Amino acid sequence: MNNILTQNDIQHVDYKDVDLLKQFVNPHGRVMGRKRTGLTAKQQRAVEAAVKRARFMGLLPYIQK
Amino acid sequence: MTEEKDAGADIVSRIYEVGYHIASTVKEEDVEKVVSALRGEIEKGGGSFIAEGSPSLMKLAFPMIVREGEKKIVHDRAYFGWIKFEAPTEAAEALEASLKRNTNIVRAIVFRTVREDTRAKYKAPTLREVKRTDTIKSSPRRAPEATEKAPVSEAELDKALEHLTTE
Repeated sequence: MNNILTQNDIQHVDYKDVDLLKQFVNPHGRVMGRKRTGLTAKQQRAVEAAVKRARFMGLLPYIQK
Repeated sequence: MTEEKDAGADIVSRIYEVGYHIASTVKEEDVEKVVSALRGEIEKGGGSFIAEGSPSLMKLAFPMIVREGEKKIVHDRAYFGWIKFEAPTEAAEALEASLKRNTNIVRAIVFRTVREDTRAKYKAPTLREVKRTDTIKSSPRRAPEATEKAPVSEAELDKALEHLTTE
């Protein structure tokens, strides 16, 4: 599978890695779908959980204009 | 996820991480006191530390509104720090409750994680990397004329003109 996580050999997605998470959200701040991210189902779930934690902690916005 | 059961007792120890925002109204020298109180809370429940990120002032992605009685306090920046620790489930629950009570803490999150370092060594790609110190040199398209001719004397000029007109 050719995606950012596999290419960079990233096993765990941390909510503090904002630069990494920004690769998976669109300019409006919404999480991209699997078709766009190219992630596996497991990786996509990990990214979603991390984005939600990052949003709660004010590291990522919920919405962006 | 790791679960370690102590022999005999039914205490389940798990790996947790706590992320917290300390209010920017707290003085910089008092931030460490708030963190040490947090560490004390973890140790009290029988927890042991694995990793820690010291709090640093950061701008929040959106303003956080905290109600203090009648007043609403808006925080747009806070000291963000985190601690990864191993503790029994009860200790984690007690920590979460104490974080909610703590008025110095704007927002906190406690969740289960893994012992390994989860931070990714990832650098976001940029369109092009030009350092501020870099100077962009422009190469001249035409080489400047190399030789400067010696000044021509009046007599030589007349001679050359005469040569041209006679032809």
